[in-house]
Amino acid sequence: MQTTNEYNRKRYRLGLWFVAPAVFVLLIVLAYPIFASLVLSFLRVRFAGQGLSFEFNGLNNYADLFRKDLFREALFRSVYYTVIEVVSVILLALLVALMLNHPLGRSAFYRVVLLVPWALAPVANAVLWKWIYNANYGILNQALRGLGAIEENIIWLGKPWLALNMILVADIWKAVPFIALLILAGLQNIPSYLYKAARLDGANAWQQFVHITLPGIKTTFVISIVLQSIWALKVFDLIYVLTKGSPADSTVLLNYLSWRETFSNLDIGYGAAIANVLFALMLMLALVYIRALRPRQTQAQGG
Amino acid sequence: MPIIQRFLTRFFIRFGLITFTLLALGPVIWAVVTSLLPLSSLTSHPIDLNPANVTVENYFLVFASSRGLVSGLINSLIIATFTSAVGLVIGSMAAYALARLNMPNSSRILMMILATQMFPGIVIVIPLFLVMSRTGLVDTHFGLIIVYLSFILPIVIWILKGFFESVPMELERAAAVDGASPFQTFRYIVLPISLPPLFATGVFAFIEAWNEFFFAIILTRIHVKTASIAIAEFSGQYQTLYGQMLASAVLASIPVVALAIIFRRFILEGFVEGAIKA
Amino acid sequence: MNSNRLVNRISRRDFLKLAGAGAASVALANFLASCAPKSDGGTLNVLVPAAPDPAPPGVGQFSLDAFEQWKKNNGFEVTYEAPPWPQLHDKMAANFASGQYVHDIIYMSGWVPEFADYLIDFADELPADIIADLPPSSFSTLTWGGKRLGVIFTLSLLTMFYNKEMLDGIGVKEAPKTWDELKGVAKELTGGGKYGWVLNYGAPEGIGGVASYWMCFLQQAGGKLYDDKGQPSFNNAAGVDSLQCMVDLMEFTDPGSLSYVGINDATNVFAAGQAAMMMNWPFMWKPANDPATSKVVGKVNAAVLPAGPAGTASIDGTDAYTITSLSPNPEGARKLIEFYLDAEVQKRQVLDTGWLPIRLSVLNDPEVQAAAPNAAVVLEQAKNPYDSYVTPDYNAVTTAIGVEIQKALAGTQSAADSIKNASDQVIEIVKKRG
Repeated sequence: MQTTNEYNRKRYRLGLWFVAPAVFVLLIVLAYPIFASLVLSFLRVRFAGQGLSFEFNGLNNYADLFRKDLFREALFRSVYYTVIEVVSVILLALLVALMLNHPLGRSAFYRVVLLVPWALAPVANAVLWKWIYNANYGILNQALRGLGAIEENIIWLGKPWLALNMILVADIWKAVPFIALLILAGLQNIPSYLYKAARLDGANAWQQFVHITLPGIKTTFVISIVLQSIWALKVFDLIYVLTKGSPADSTVLLNYLSWRETFSNLDIGYGAAIANVLFALMLMLALVYIRALRPRQTQAQGG
Repeated sequence: MPIIQRFLTRFFIRFGLITFTLLALGPVIWAVVTSLLPLSSLTSHPIDLNPANVTVENYFLVFASSRGLVSGLINSLIIATFTSAVGLVIGSMAAYALARLNMPNSSRILMMILATQMFPGIVIVIPLFLVMSRTGLVDTHFGLIIVYLSFILPIVIWILKGFFESVPMELERAAAVDGASPFQTFRYIVLPISLPPLFATGVFAFIEAWNEFFFAIILTRIHVKTASIAIAEFSGQYQTLYGQMLASAVLASIPVVALAIIFRRFILEGFVEGAIKA
Repeated sequence: MNSNRLVNRISRRDFLKLAGAGAASVALANFLASCAPKSDGGTLNVLVPAAPDPAPPGVGQFSLDAFEQWKKNNGFEVTYEAPPWPQLHDKMAANFASGQYVHDIIYMSGWVPEFADYLIDFADELPADIIADLPPSSFSTLTWGGKRLGVIFTLSLLTMFYNKEMLDGIGVKEAPKTWDELKGVAKELTGGGKYGWVLNYGAPEGIGGVASYWMCFLQQAGGKLYDDKGQPSFNNAAGVDSLQCMVDLMEFTDPGSLSYVGINDATNVFAAGQAAMMMNWPFMWKPANDPATSKVVGKVNAAVLPAGPAGTASIDGTDAYTITSLSPNPEGARKLIEFYLDAEVQKRQVLDTGWLPIRLSVLNDPEVQAAAPNAAVVLEQAKNPYDSYVTPDYNAVTTAIGVEIQKALAGTQSAADSIKNASDQVIEIVKKRG
């Protein structure tokens, strides 16, 4: 008993040493900026000739925020964008992963194909899509016209909802590979004897999918949803390159609005307030995630 | 009937795989085509794909111009290598501690680690820049590496923690009975059987550090310009040199794709173990 | 149980320690502020955009030998930082926010009033012969609080570019001279997948955004953005008519224009021969006559912008060099700017990169006029108003106006409503300026 205790104490001490470097890096790099971004949102910040000048502004930045239509629209669009992106990415990634897990799709070729969109530098990716979507000479319009699918050029980035959805398409294309990889890994980790047993019990393909496959990748799903939600809410570079928020601010999402206020209009306090709303959104999502995981953990402990 | 069903299934899967390949590679192929043709051919109606116009001039120009794509690639290589290596070492340690070393409140710590990723970079970057410029870390490899570490550590920790939890407890108990210290158990039992997920998260960290742009542009000046910045320099206010930009993007993607090809086995196996048992 | 509780307590204490270490490191960071990098006086740090955007010798490929010679003669090293143009303003904002010396010379485009407190007034110290050789009006967008905070190095006003061949095709020999002629010619040239007009209306803000384009039309209609007291003064007939002219033109405009974010997208359409006319910066002359990028080589001509009720008018691209107030060596910085304005350097600037000079003597040089036939047109354009109305909140103002203009151009709102909404928002912004 004593040796076990001693051993456990050793493990605990080692644990502290093991967690310390990572926590230290996160603290030293991010503690001050995160603290500052919380504080800045209560200040009015001006560019004053020698650095910045600060003035306490109470809750005014937040009050301004919720008074403005643009903020409410951006909030709504960010939620729309995130929901569509997460649902599409997860479903497409699941589809891709199922195909790549099928004996026909198990070649190394497809696995490398999967990684190519992920490897392309995001700066170039954004410009590439702008080039593809160009209303006049872009390959998308030219190809569709060549196929006879359209007669007039479509202004992909010139109509409010269409532009937002085209940005989504580009983003989804870039995001599917990583999530597909995660899900593929999840699929491969499901013990094959489970399927064999199910087949012996006379389960058809759909029943196997619902009762074995889906529960088997549930954890992967939840991790994917949380990571993808965070990334979707943070979307910035595609908007910056493709539309700059146009037409008529219809592709302004929260993170872009935060950039515009912070860097373009130099209203750092206001930009920080927007960013903090974004943080609150993500935190809420993550708490939902914890709740989704909790029953499993209780089960595991109980069993 | 089952034969028809089987045939149909195979048909749809083949069709799906071809569609997937076309959709995944299409835009990239168009990037390559763009880098090989003069702008005047590409903006024509209809697009002039005459192979006679194919030129590698853009690739020459990329290297000839003073934009520093080569030094950008070297800088990115240094930064991405260190970030992924250091990230793996301290990330795996933290993940192991949180998974197995009886850390109290480990789920709360994990949540806080993830929460650091929820603050948009746009608002973080100015305070970060102020601290870094006062400590002389702007435009240094070290500065960028430590910042990228803070971005990739949470994800590395989350993935690896899942893996370490799936390592059978019996293995570790057996090691303890044999008199191994907890550190020895980690070093000689857990790590060696965890090579696949370590590679996998390493590649993830490498790609993220290789491609990052927004922090790189603010936190560097002259000496540590990364490949992403060199690529972005072709996109200006008055003129965007699409051909040269995509040529340099293709060149900058090659090391990453090569890495993916080399480590593809590890990537897949790695996530198999790592992502699931969280 | 007991040991478990102990473990919990220890962990909290240890984590407080860790947090303390984090706080200590931040304090250390502040302490190290005193160790910030200083210039040794022999190096000039210069922030400019990457070429082919307007860049000085050493970043742009011109006058390289003269530049080496200048550095040797004056005993200076020059370190360029040349990020992509779209990231310049972000970098500047971060640098200025730090309150530390980073650069001696900074390229600016419409941002002088915004950063006026960080810049010095050095125009008076420039040699008289240089000052006398610059268009006096070139200082107007660089003057804030009565100080001239920079010097323009390229005459960059919007003028008209048109495809001679396409205009000839409908029997029109000269560029349209009035709004009505412009609309008429554009109408005739539209059809069969080609358009009379193309421009980038996709970005609302800044110089080169849709709001700045409208300012050309506004001044052509005899309007002004601000009155003498600095209050918005465009919610009137001139404001509405100028926007209505742009709206009328939309029918004959490449509809993609609403989605083009950068002028480059529109230039490509023009250079492919898909649109007959556009407004553009003088720089456009060179790429439009380069066979690698253009299908309209030799078919391009330039003209002053069509006149509205009050005549022709344009806006200024305001590409300028400024000196920061934290520069330890403003003298040296000024000397380097004088080198950039040297007549020979200015001449190579236009011949090798296509960016026009600012010095009148160089603009009138026969060799320059032969290589850049549009130089004379820009000089002619410069005899008319070309105010860009830059203010410290220029980005906010132009975003507000630009978004309303986009609504009118897309046909979802009348020109009158757009102008009224824009005016209301600018009044708010000006009030906030205080």
